[in-house]
Amino acid sequence: MAVLATFRYEEDFLAGAERVKTAGIGRISLMSPVPLEAAQEVLGLEKSPVRRFSLAGAIIGAVAGFAMAVATALVFILPTGGRAIISVPPYLVIAYEMTILLGVLFTLVGFHIVSGLPAWRDRPYAPESNIDRFVVVVEGAAETDALRAETILREAGAEETRRVEDGQ
Amino acid sequence: MRSEVDMSNVLDKLREYSKPGYYDEFDYHWTMTIDLDRCTGCEACVVACQAENNLPIVGEERYAEAREIKWIRIERYWEGEFPDVKLNFIPMLCQHCDEAPCETACPVFATYHNQDGLNTQIYNRCIGTRTCAVYCPYEVRYFNWFTYTWDEPLEQQLNPDVSVREKGVMEKCTFCIQRIRMAKDNAKDDGRRRVRDGEVVPACVQSCPTEAMSFGDSNDPDSKVSQVMNSPRGYKVLEELNTVPSVIYLKKVHDDV
Amino acid sequence: MTMFDHGQPTYAEVNRDVLSSMLETGPRYWMLLGTTMTIAGVCFFMPWIYQLIVGVGAAGMNRNALWGTYLSNFIFWIGLSHSGTLLSAVLHITNSQWRKSIYRSAEAMTLFSLMTAALFVMVHVGRLWFVHWSFPIPNPMGLWPNFRSPLMFDVMAITTYLTASSIFIYMGSVPDFAAVRDVSTGIRRRLYTVFSFGWRGTAREWHTLGAAYMFFAVFVIPLAVSVHSIVSWDFALSIVPGLHHTIFAPYFVCGAIYSGTAGIVTVMYMLRKFMNFERYIGEKHLDYLGKLLLVLSMLWTYINILELFTTWYSGTSFEMEALDFRMFGFYAPLYWEMILFCAFVPLLMLFRKIRLSWNKMLVVSILINIGMLTERFIIVATSQPRKFLPDAFGFYFPSWIEFSITFGSFAIFTTLFLIFIKWVPAVSIYEVKETLKPLRRDA
Repeated sequence: MAVLATFRYEEDFLAGAERVKTAGIGRISLMSPVPLEAAQEVLGLEKSPVRRFSLAGAIIGAVAGFAMAVATALVFILPTGGRAIISVPPYLVIAYEMTILLGVLFTLVGFHIVSGLPAWRDRPYAPESNIDRFVVVVEGAAETDALRAETILREAGAEETRRVEDGQ
Repeated sequence: MRSEVDMSNVLDKLREYSKPGYYDEFDYHWTMTIDLDRCTGCEACVVACQAENNLPIVGEERYAEAREIKWIRIERYWEGEFPDVKLNFIPMLCQHCDEAPCETACPVFATYHNQDGLNTQIYNRCIGTRTCAVYCPYEVRYFNWFTYTWDEPLEQQLNPDVSVREKGVMEKCTFCIQRIRMAKDNAKDDGRRRVRDGEVVPACVQSCPTEAMSFGDSNDPDSKVSQVMNSPRGYKVLEELNTVPSVIYLKKVHDDV
Repeated sequence: MTMFDHGQPTYAEVNRDVLSSMLETGPRYWMLLGTTMTIAGVCFFMPWIYQLIVGVGAAGMNRNALWGTYLSNFIFWIGLSHSGTLLSAVLHITNSQWRKSIYRSAEAMTLFSLMTAALFVMVHVGRLWFVHWSFPIPNPMGLWPNFRSPLMFDVMAITTYLTASSIFIYMGSVPDFAAVRDVSTGIRRRLYTVFSFGWRGTAREWHTLGAAYMFFAVFVIPLAVSVHSIVSWDFALSIVPGLHHTIFAPYFVCGAIYSGTAGIVTVMYMLRKFMNFERYIGEKHLDYLGKLLLVLSMLWTYINILELFTTWYSGTSFEMEALDFRMFGFYAPLYWEMILFCAFVPLLMLFRKIRLSWNKMLVVSILINIGMLTERFIIVATSQPRKFLPDAFGFYFPSWIEFSITFGSFAIFTTLFLIFIKWVPAVSIYEVKETLKPLRRDA
């Protein structure tokens, strides 16, 4: 059972979210049409772990890029233009590009892992939250808790509350 | 190819591979000398090259478009004002630079430096970016703008030792690598370790009526080419570009100097 | 100061306006799309197929001039791609509000001009059917590419740029794909469900997206700078007089951002005019872009003067000869046209009146890009046909096939852009909303 409460105003939405959070009912998701730092604070989200993926990707990319260039040169010993087989300056350029390529790709993977997307399944959702409404979703609440959540949210100024199935 | 890395001396290997130029010494250092004092500009070398290396005859129209393929060409430089003019010839062919600008440019290793000090061109690998030719200061690389064909029965005179190139491929003077190859094979068959001086003669050198050109291994101090190249008249074209060419020209001596 | 010329829209109006631009398609759109596709087919692909059959000789290049318009157009399109993503990323990390309504289409411009540029590489090479040998993927030669080659840097840089800018624009659009999903039905709904990854706009999703997007932006900035530096090294790492300059990398990067920003002005004009985005793309944007263009034009002029100056000061005979041919040779009219269009015309933007007039800015921006197109042509056509040996001096003039393909490339770009505006909201819905004042009960 999930409770879905729609708010018109941002401050009501934040207050409602805060109160449900303090009451400790179920799992809370806060849906908004624009990113809200305040909403992230309510949930206690700190620095996103995505940055670890970015760092790892960049480092792996730099090493892999340089290693790929060196390994290719060592496997095929084909001297060109009087340059060394392992000539560092051009390989640094390759390493630079690979740093960025793998940095970006790892960040993308990190985004998917951290956000849990893609999630092509039915989850509690109110389409108006992508237009101009703010929505608090309380998932996994038992009947009494759901009632309590509804009361709290309505008191906070929710326009409407409704119940939907939990997401899988 | 020295591709196996011996694990026991990896560091030595790495040092070797990090060394500019890579080669300490070429097995052979094929070198050509061209005595400009003897060159009459007869273009026999051009024709010989054409026949030996299966160069296409592009025809008048393509020639007018500056798309001829001549691995060796005679450049003409006029000196002075008419009627008091002098004509100087410089046969220009791939200089087989030891530090060739063209080689670094190729993204697919279609051109590289082999252990004989030759700047090689591998037609099969070429994808036709034409960067090598742009980077070449001597403009001796020629591109196949079209696939050229030989009318019957002219295809009968094609040299079977040399491949025929298709459109989109870069080509250039190879110092008649097929003849070098054959000389090396013969030497091996005879149980000799090295090719003898004078055994390899590229088509242009062979055909020069005034014997202006000589060819050989400059690693061998007794070879003819080593002696000729040390002449005080010797110079390299565009030496200031530091391409280290393997073709040495001998200056023309004017009567009035 | 507000970004909006015609009053501030509400959240719902933003959704409605932007989505209707995407979902409501008139006959004019289809006619335009049909025209550009026809032009692309007839002027670009048909001559190209002809060229593939007979060989690159169909173009006007010859044994002295081995690079031609294909390469100069490649640089031009890469250059045009430089402003969108770079500007968007720089403005994103500096948290500029005026970026938000224009960045999506600017990034699309990046993506599509990059694709056009990549096409020109394909057109340029002699054996297209083997072009995959220049990628580090297994091939029948059993040979990997030469990572010491400047062209290989190019392959790596452009692949990375194409990947990074596609991801950048895609990830920025995910919440908007969700908005499209919410208003559509049937197959489109299912498609956009997939596109939007099932986005719900929860605080956690926004949080993660924000972090990831910031990293994309941070990665893209050094990438964009490196891409055009590397393109310039295709030239500068040769020893050809007139190309072998250390100034080339900053010159190309500056020129690229310059031409790209002018391109953004042109595209903004079209979007405003034909997509009814008057409300979201206002005078403010035009004013800022105009100032940016002005600064870039001066920087470009400075670097140009410096290039001439260092060449002249060196006094090398080869360099002087190249300089002389560039400024007073056959292509001198093109050279001076470039100076006029890229150094003098932009000075008009010193006047606020001109900066704030859409029509005048359109003219200025198009002139700048004509100038930049010729700049690239001059770089290619006046240097490498005339290198060191006077007897081998050549001359290059494009053939009709090259003119046709050049013209057709603009149609390809326009086609891609036209397809884009019907698939992706051309103005970022959620980010425009961010610039709006939040709804308050007392308001």
